[in-house]
Amino acid sequence: MIDVQRPSCQPLLSVRDLVVQYQGASGAVQAVRGVSFDLASDESLALIGESGCGKTTLGLALLGLLPKAARIMGGQILYRTRDGRVVDVVRLSDAELRRFRWQECAMVFQGALNAFNPVLKIWDQVVDTARAHGFRDRTRIREQCERLLRLVQLDPTRVLDSYPHELSGGMRQRVMIALSLLLEPRLVIYDEPTTALDILTQRAIIEVLRSLRQELGFAMVFISHDLPLAAELADRVATMYAGRIVELADVRNLFYRPRHPYTRGLLLAVPPVSGPLTTVVSIPGSPPSLASLPAGCSFAPRCEFATDRCRREEPTLSTVAPGHWSACHHWSAVSLDRWMERLGGASHA
Amino acid sequence: MSVRRHGSPRTVQVIRRLLRAYALRRVLKAVITVWIVVTATFFLVRLMPGSPVEVYIHTLISQYGFTYDEAANQAAALFAFDPNQPLLVQYLDYLRSLARGDLGQSLVSPGTPVSSILLSYLPWTLFSAGLGLFVSFVSGLFLGMLMAYRRGGLIDHVLTALGSFFQAVPNYLVAIVLIVFLGVQLGWLPVTKMRGAVSPGVQPGLTVAFVADVLYHAALPVLTYVLTTVGSWMLLMKSSTLSTLEEDYVTVARARGLSDGRIMRAYVGRNAVLPLFAQVAIAAGFVVGGSVVIERIFVYEGIGFVLLDAINRRDYPLMQGIFFVITLSVIAANLLADLLYSRLDPRIRRHPAEGDR
Repeated sequence: MIDVQRPSCQPLLSVRDLVVQYQGASGAVQAVRGVSFDLASDESLALIGESGCGKTTLGLALLGLLPKAARIMGGQILYRTRDGRVVDVVRLSDAELRRFRWQECAMVFQGALNAFNPVLKIWDQVVDTARAHGFRDRTRIREQCERLLRLVQLDPTRVLDSYPHELSGGMRQRVMIALSLLLEPRLVIYDEPTTALDILTQRAIIEVLRSLRQELGFAMVFISHDLPLAAELADRVATMYAGRIVELADVRNLFYRPRHPYTRGLLLAVPPVSGPLTTVVSIPGSPPSLASLPAGCSFAPRCEFATDRCRREEPTLSTVAPGHWSACHHWSAVSLDRWMERLGGASHA
Repeated sequence: MSVRRHGSPRTVQVIRRLLRAYALRRVLKAVITVWIVVTATFFLVRLMPGSPVEVYIHTLISQYGFTYDEAANQAAALFAFDPNQPLLVQYLDYLRSLARGDLGQSLVSPGTPVSSILLSYLPWTLFSAGLGLFVSFVSGLFLGMLMAYRRGGLIDHVLTALGSFFQAVPNYLVAIVLIVFLGVQLGWLPVTKMRGAVSPGVQPGLTVAFVADVLYHAALPVLTYVLTTVGSWMLLMKSSTLSTLEEDYVTVARARGLSDGRIMRAYVGRNAVLPLFAQVAIAAGFVVGGSVVIERIFVYEGIGFVLLDAINRRDYPLMQGIFFVITLSVIAANLLADLLYSRLDPRIRRHPAEGDR
């Protein structure tokens, strides 16, 4: 097993060789194929990749929230609880899992416009959440909730007394973010929290998340297909492709010295802030169907570095520099240099 | 919030706000509907050539040798209006007596006010058909949710098959089958004893004996209502629950660690039942009108039984009274459903102009 742990600290979460399989009518499909990573208790990890690469499935698996058709076929999700015990989320009983959710690990979903029960006032849903975890002191719940709502820049009195449809999309998402911190979880998973929102609201949400993390200090998994967004919030970034992590590195290293052709492709596909738009290069082809993956490296058919070896032999995640892992046979050949030259020789150091 | 025009007088603002209130608008709508129906019935009956009133007057003249005036007076007493007055005056008189609850007198049994006939028969229909609807709706909701939660399982398959079957069978057929097989062929049920609304000699009152007797007599009509309607409630609730289970807020509720029971009641159940309320309102409205055949078959003395009788004997004032009650019940049921719906679904509590977002 490769060591993807940062040596200095004990991880809050370590995922080891996680395999999630969907049982479909036309056979089984693996959406997560052996994912491993560690997360420190103050760290923010971004999972990036195209739609259908298994990001959301991975996020749901961390909370034991997978749909009925999905099953964890192998691996561990080790979580260090407040009292120092290490539990495997995969093996928790239903009752333990229910307590684990939201109190230890909360999740904010993509498209949260519909995340609230339309027939209950926000305050009732807050109380529901607190009561499910045995908190019955309404005054304390109220205080905690009002504090969080003020942190996300909402007017607590107005919001708590509203029905979900009376709030705008951006407000609802902010309420959801506040609600995710109600029970002071130590890990929050954000699954594309800004996808359904307009660009200004997106900005506001990102600012809120950044300041909340400074204020309250929780670990965070940020799932996104938006690289610049991930760059703003993440300490480390994991690139996912076809159900695997193909590159994992500190955010600076990953953005300036990508060592996997897929990460490089994603970076080249981002329009530059300055410079001509012609420098945008999209990755040819489309992601493979998880039901019929090519032999060898699953990215090989779209990769300009691919050789016969890539089509034969699947590369494993291995260290390319301290704190930097890549799953590519030709990682040493991958660089952003050509892109940098086209930008006019800008330094990338 | 909508922008209010500056400088408009206070009273106008108050009126505008009142008109915007959901409940008030609904009640107003219901009252106007009743008025329109009453007016239409009145004028239709009067404007028809050979109106029932004229027919009645001529019958009196030709058969009993009444003078026209005598006959007209007799008719006026029965129909609660005076045919010699101008139409508008008649109309206003009719409205006035209607407001007092005076629906005229029965033709067949002169001297009996229609309202007293309605009062003695209507409660039985409301009781039996209402109970049937209630039992059917509530058990449909539970069975539907059960099917949705166990979809693909044995319970789901069996209930779906049974539900579709009974939904397709007309209620009079079920009623006849119950009488012929359970009553006559197998002799399990004393169908002749079960006729009527109560056994003769049982004193009305809140006693165990009376309640048991009432339920005994209502059992077969209620069973027929339930058997023929529970299937559609069940299937509606199943599909509604299935689509609610897919909603994001159910997943989020699970992520929040809520207990399964709480999610089932407040998150799935409450939202799944909303679309069914429009249908239950329509069904409740037809409780009175839809009871005709079943009450006839089981000889259950409710309003449907009386209506069939009135039609056979050309008892126009009674028919008119029953139709009025049927109209009223449809409108009242719809009003009730609208008001209840707005209690249950906060999204429609506001004015459309404000709510459309």
